[in-house]
Amino acid sequence: MTRIFLILALILGAAQVWAQEQPDPRLIRAADDVALAYVVTGDPEVDETSEAGLRGISQVLAARTTVEPGEPIGLDLDRDDLSLLTFLYWPVTDGQPSPSPQAYVRLNHFLRSGGMILFDTRDGDIAGLGGPDGAAALKRLAAPLDIPPLAPVPRDHVLTRTFYLLQDFPGRYQGRDIWAEAPPADAAAAEGVPFRSLNDGVSPVVIGGNSWAEAWAMDENGLPMFSVGSSLDGERQREMAYRFGVNLIMYVMTGNYKSDQVHVPALLDRLRQEEAIR
Amino acid sequence: MNGLSFDPLLPWPLVGAIAVLAVLVMLWSLWRGLRGWFWRGLAGAAAALALAGPALETGMRNMLSDIVILLDDRSASQSLPGRGEQADAAIEELTQQLNALPGTEIRRVTVGDDPDGTLIGTALTRALAAEPQTRIAGIVAVTDGLAHDASALPATAPAPVHVLLTGTPVDWDRRLVIEEAPAYGLIGQPVTIRVRIEDQGAVPPEAAQMPSRLNISVDGQDARSIELPAGVTLDLPVVPEHAGQNVVSIGFDAPEASPPELTDRNNSAAIQIQGVHDRLRVLLVSGEPHPGERTWRNLLKSDANVDLIHFTILRPPDKMDAVPVDELSLIAFPTQELFMERIRDFDLIIFDRYRVRGILLPQYYENIRRYVEEGGAVLVAAGPEMSTVESLNLSPLGAILPVRPTGRIYDEPFLPRLTEDGARHPVTAGLTGAPREGRGDHWGRWLRMSQVIPSPGAQVVMTGANDAPLLILDRVGKGRVALMTSDQVWLWGRGFEGGGPQLELLRRIAHWSMKEPDLEEEALTAEVSGGLTVTITRRTMDRSASPIRITRPDGEVVTLPLAETGPGRFSVRWIAPGPGLYRLTDGKITRVIALGPAAPREFEETVASGAALGPLAEATQGAVLDLSDGIPRLRTVREGRPAHGQGVGGDWIAITPRKAASVSGMTHRPILPPWGWLVLIAGLALAGWLAEGRGWSRRAA
Repeated sequence: MTRIFLILALILGAAQVWAQEQPDPRLIRAADDVALAYVVTGDPEVDETSEAGLRGISQVLAARTTVEPGEPIGLDLDRDDLSLLTFLYWPVTDGQPSPSPQAYVRLNHFLRSGGMILFDTRDGDIAGLGGPDGAAALKRLAAPLDIPPLAPVPRDHVLTRTFYLLQDFPGRYQGRDIWAEAPPADAAAAEGVPFRSLNDGVSPVVIGGNSWAEAWAMDENGLPMFSVGSSLDGERQREMAYRFGVNLIMYVMTGNYKSDQVHVPALLDRLRQEEAIR
Repeated sequence: MNGLSFDPLLPWPLVGAIAVLAVLVMLWSLWRGLRGWFWRGLAGAAAALALAGPALETGMRNMLSDIVILLDDRSASQSLPGRGEQADAAIEELTQQLNALPGTEIRRVTVGDDPDGTLIGTALTRALAAEPQTRIAGIVAVTDGLAHDASALPATAPAPVHVLLTGTPVDWDRRLVIEEAPAYGLIGQPVTIRVRIEDQGAVPPEAAQMPSRLNISVDGQDARSIELPAGVTLDLPVVPEHAGQNVVSIGFDAPEASPPELTDRNNSAAIQIQGVHDRLRVLLVSGEPHPGERTWRNLLKSDANVDLIHFTILRPPDKMDAVPVDELSLIAFPTQELFMERIRDFDLIIFDRYRVRGILLPQYYENIRRYVEEGGAVLVAAGPEMSTVESLNLSPLGAILPVRPTGRIYDEPFLPRLTEDGARHPVTAGLTGAPREGRGDHWGRWLRMSQVIPSPGAQVVMTGANDAPLLILDRVGKGRVALMTSDQVWLWGRGFEGGGPQLELLRRIAHWSMKEPDLEEEALTAEVSGGLTVTITRRTMDRSASPIRITRPDGEVVTLPLAETGPGRFSVRWIAPGPGLYRLTDGKITRVIALGPAAPREFEETVASGAALGPLAEATQGAVLDLSDGIPRLRTVREGRPAHGQGVGGDWIAITPRKAASVSGMTHRPILPPWGWLVLIAGLALAGWLAEGRGWSRRAA
């Protein structure tokens, strides 16, 4: 308990200091231009891939949708403020150190106030075979987070139709379930589950292992950096990975907008009927 | 209470055994032919009797006085002209007559006003229960007979109940009867109030023919009048115009006739109809997905009373990819239907970072402009697109937007602050954590806004970078427009630098646009607490507030000065002298408040009547008499005899003396002292002995 108070005091103190300072210009850009952010793991190869991947998906978004993100931002969880961000890509590596307790307090606030983290264990090719995979590292990194109960994304999840109609969510690898907040067992969510009622019921985390950054990654010339699958099927899979990226960012920005658009025709019908009655 | 009692010296069986023995001895003596058998039997019986200990008991009785309950109705309806004096005279006369009767006590019971009317039944039941039933010799009620708790009247009483009615035979009254009034109504939809004018008592013919002019007003405005004859039911449509209390006052002037009607206090009524919104319909148009979009959704989706129709431009018309349509989840925006046909169904249209990019036709913007001028509401949360060529200001909608962008964007962190107007404006006043002079607290900063020049009539309630307008509120025609020159209110929700009251601010802006009365700048509110205490608050954007003039139900005017209790808030506490309809005005705004029932129960019906108390009087052989025929004489009759009648000097009423007594003590006296018994038994035994001839007779033999 005391530790939590100490941490809170530290954060409040830090906030006081920030109030006087100029915020990090990169983060201002993140707020203004919806820049996507990734967690810096300390593994140069992974970090470069993350950056290239987010740059790639940003370019796809800018080319196809109204969202035009700026340059991706690499984030040091122990140092940087998260409140200006909306989306965080977190590749899971065995070697990355756990963030500090203060960082977890910030992360939990980020999740509670409407931010989203995509955890990528990047082990879609080997996971589930019984060998060493990213599960242990993911457990270590995500355990201190306030994450609601998770379930594999069902076929009718809004994530499957925020922009494109999707059946699965491939990255460089394909075919594994991805996980998001479990749909409520019934209409009334249990007491103490913060996310169902908060933030319009939008899942604060999405977890998978399809190594999306590698599928999205583009170099300066806009060319893919990693091979996906083989030949034409591979290119189709890459296209699907882009579409997943687009859908995911739309889900982060618009929440359940698409799921209640279903009700719009019904609502308009009702208006028409009311007019007829009058 | 005289009587014989026994106090046996031995247990009863032994005494009985002795008595049986005595009888056996007597029978044996008889059989043997003894001449003294009678005397011997008697001696045995006397012995048994002596052992039984007979004694005489005598009670001591005190005669008790009779009680007469004198019920004095002093409720408000008894204050009508003439009735008070009548009641005074009758009570005094009866008291004198009762005092003159020996052995009679008076219990005087006064019935006052109760919120539920005149509770004669309760008072009578209570008075009867407090007295011994055997002593009550009579009940006399001096009243106008208008009991509002007839069901509480006892079915009968141990003595005659006499009802002496005040009032005169020419009493008459015309009153307003509300047959049906709804307590709730949807705003803008008519509700029906059913009213009737009713005549009671001896209505003068000239008045009976004359219809009354019914004046109807809602919240003291919008007065209408209708001629309505007595006895005709009228369905009156009334439209609640706003949320909260809509006070409908209905009334007519006292008809001119001789004699005048008893009272005009039942000629008016105030009906409070709670105006409720139908579900609010909000159209949210997002120009592009951005982090702030979900804050709007969180706000509008969390309100169960809002039907949200949301559209986001996910893909602009100028961007294309090679994806087939059946792999896309994009729905065409039913713009024609929403912006042309259905627009009046919406209570609010929000443009969230909307940029003009050829999706909406110019006539749609024209139509939105008309919609606002006719009473609609538009809220614009503008991002940097406002300072570009795609600004909404450059569309036909720009004509009603309260600002003109300069084209400059402040790309720097700034602290949102309230302006002096903002501190007074209900939309921004009292937001938690508002920056204050001399205090360190402040909200979190925002990072970007557009520079604008506000239009002359618009109110700038918040400012940002370089004191440039941040939140601007304006009225256009009958409608409202609110505009934020930054899209970064979501930073407050995220808690950047501590954040701010994001949801509350957005909620208030949205509801102000939809004309929620709690958020009106110029408002006169009266909060009634504890019956007659009224807290009158004037909310205004002005620096001062003029005194409040209060018109009381009786027409007198009170003027109260207001004291400033906060920025833009002036208030005063006032205790009203009584229930009724009060009209408050400060010259600009008029409000009507109803304190208590507008026509108190006491004045619902005013013509004296024995209908309520008659059955009780009849059941107890009592009388219902009009005091206008004179005060009756008082007599006494025996119980069960008729207790009223007509004598030479006019009517008489009677009480029945009950001759009740109480026993205060008891004496216990043995019939004979022990030596007396000894002498008696010995004497009888001796007599038997002598009779058997053992004395003189043997000698004689």
